[in-house]
Amino acid sequence: MSAGLDALLIRVGAWALALIWLAPLAYAVWTAFHPAAYETHFALLAPITVENFPKAWVQAPFARYFLNTILLVTSILGVQLVVGTLAAFAFARLQFAGKSGLFALVLMQMMVMPDILIVENYQTMRALGLVDTIAGIGLPYMASGFAIFLLRQTFLTIPRELDEAARMEGASLRHLILRVYVPLAKPTYIAFGLVSVSAHWNDFIWPLIVTNSVEARPLTVGLSIFSATDSGVQWSVINAATLMTSAPLLLGFLIFQRQFVQSFLRAGIK
Amino acid sequence: MIAQTDIGRQSGSGPASPGAGLRLSGLARAIAGRRILDGIDVTFEAGALSVILGPSGCGKSTLLRLIAGLDAPDGGTIHLGARDLAPLPPAARDIAMVFQSYALFPHLTMAENILFGLSLRRVARVDQARRLARVVEMLGLGGLEARKPAQLSGGQQQRVALARALISERPICLMDEPLSNLDAKLRAEMRSEIRALQQRLGLTMIYVTHDQVEAMTMADKIVLMNEGRIEQEGAPEAIYAAPASRFAARFIGMPPMNLIPGAALGLTGHDAGRLIGLRAEDGRIDPQGLAAPIVAHEFHGADLFVTIRLAETPVMLRLPARTGLPADGILRLGWDAGALHRFDPVTGRRLTEP
Repeated sequence: MSAGLDALLIRVGAWALALIWLAPLAYAVWTAFHPAAYETHFALLAPITVENFPKAWVQAPFARYFLNTILLVTSILGVQLVVGTLAAFAFARLQFAGKSGLFALVLMQMMVMPDILIVENYQTMRALGLVDTIAGIGLPYMASGFAIFLLRQTFLTIPRELDEAARMEGASLRHLILRVYVPLAKPTYIAFGLVSVSAHWNDFIWPLIVTNSVEARPLTVGLSIFSATDSGVQWSVINAATLMTSAPLLLGFLIFQRQFVQSFLRAGIK
Repeated sequence: MIAQTDIGRQSGSGPASPGAGLRLSGLARAIAGRRILDGIDVTFEAGALSVILGPSGCGKSTLLRLIAGLDAPDGGTIHLGARDLAPLPPAARDIAMVFQSYALFPHLTMAENILFGLSLRRVARVDQARRLARVVEMLGLGGLEARKPAQLSGGQQQRVALARALISERPICLMDEPLSNLDAKLRAEMRSEIRALQQRLGLTMIYVTHDQVEAMTMADKIVLMNEGRIEQEGAPEAIYAAPASRFAARFIGMPPMNLIPGAALGLTGHDAGRLIGLRAEDGRIDPQGLAAPIVAHEFHGADLFVTIRLAETPVMLRLPARTGLPADGILRLGWDAGALHRFDPVTGRRLTEP
């Protein structure tokens, strides 16, 4: 096959895939910014409106949902990073009994699909009295095997001489971690942070099961309840709500796009 | 390059007994069952530049790491003056270190790298700034304070690493092959610069290298190591003049000392069965001398390095280039009786009796 034809096919394929992926988003944007009459009627000169957004906003407690989701993803990420950093440092640089066995357990966690554990997790949360709380949604994810693994791999690439130079200068373990290891692993932290935030922002099944009140529900669950009501809510309003709930992630991705891709390349995962 | 400011030790970090030498005795270290160091006894005098010299794998870097406290010995003691260093962590030993790779923190600027230790120890900002200005001027690093290590040249990185060791104002400075990543010209420059700094500041410096030229040009004392043991220690001139073993004879000096079976030199008596050492510059052309064919010669400007063959043993001589070579390709080798070194052919040790 000639190189020219090859390049052409790749280009056509890429565009086709991009368009297929973009279609739902494009439809959501179209309906959200037009009156309900244009939901299935595409006219280029259809009047543009932003009324759907306030309509959606007042029909369900989206402000509360936003707050819940933001609390959820930040608390998960915060605990994941602290736990992950400490565990990864121990696995990468400290010597202790049972190290390799424990690390095997951490790796095993990455091989188990979280969905398999839903029933078990629910029982645990109920025993702890955390059903229908934000902590209850986040707790099962806070010790992330992926975070520990990723950070350990990054820490292992940091030259030992840097570690030793810092210790010659009087750095304690805390200093060593905060002033040498963490800053040098910044790309990994960014990559993992983006993965974690987007995963838990979008997570649906588990929050749906473990929450049953407005006070704990995140955006995804709130949105599905809002759009599943039989009260004749219009697609334009639903899509306005969908756009609102996904906008922060979309914007975040657009802003961090470059860093996102580079971080992943540098962190050695795809 | 070196400005005439004095870093001294007046500014209150208060190292213990500035005149104290470092004494190692019976130091041993084995890694995974293999002996890396085997009974090291040596004293590094205060205010002197001691070079630990040896081929790679001889244990010299391990020795440095034991002194620094980055590794623990399996036996033996390390004393700084009267103080036993064994129970102390690296930072409490009053020892600074320059690493082979420089070990600069890539995420910090040059100034932050140099001040890393002082900021950990919460030295007052005013003091930090004053001491930084001093070392930066001393090492000619002015204007580069805001650069990250990646934006500095190899030579500049080397100076920053040196500055980080000097700013701590600790009395002992360890250097682990600090010049091995520089090109030849820069290496020669840094060599004399480090030596000048060490002498001006009165530092006790312990310098590890595999390069005998560095050792010869810089050292007050050379500690020559081989296979985890000290082969010989002494001033460069003393080791050169009287190497204690075959190993020392071959390792110190460029070109290495010729080692020739005594019989091949036409010696008789005890010497016939011994290994005889002859420095390249100690051989001369002598009409009454021993005839040997010329194998090769190299022109070095003032000198001519001539290789001859004496009964299957190649022997390198260093002759004045102006003398020229005999036209027939046969060199008549002569020497002074006092120039010969005698070694035991089995143990390789130097023999003192004639």
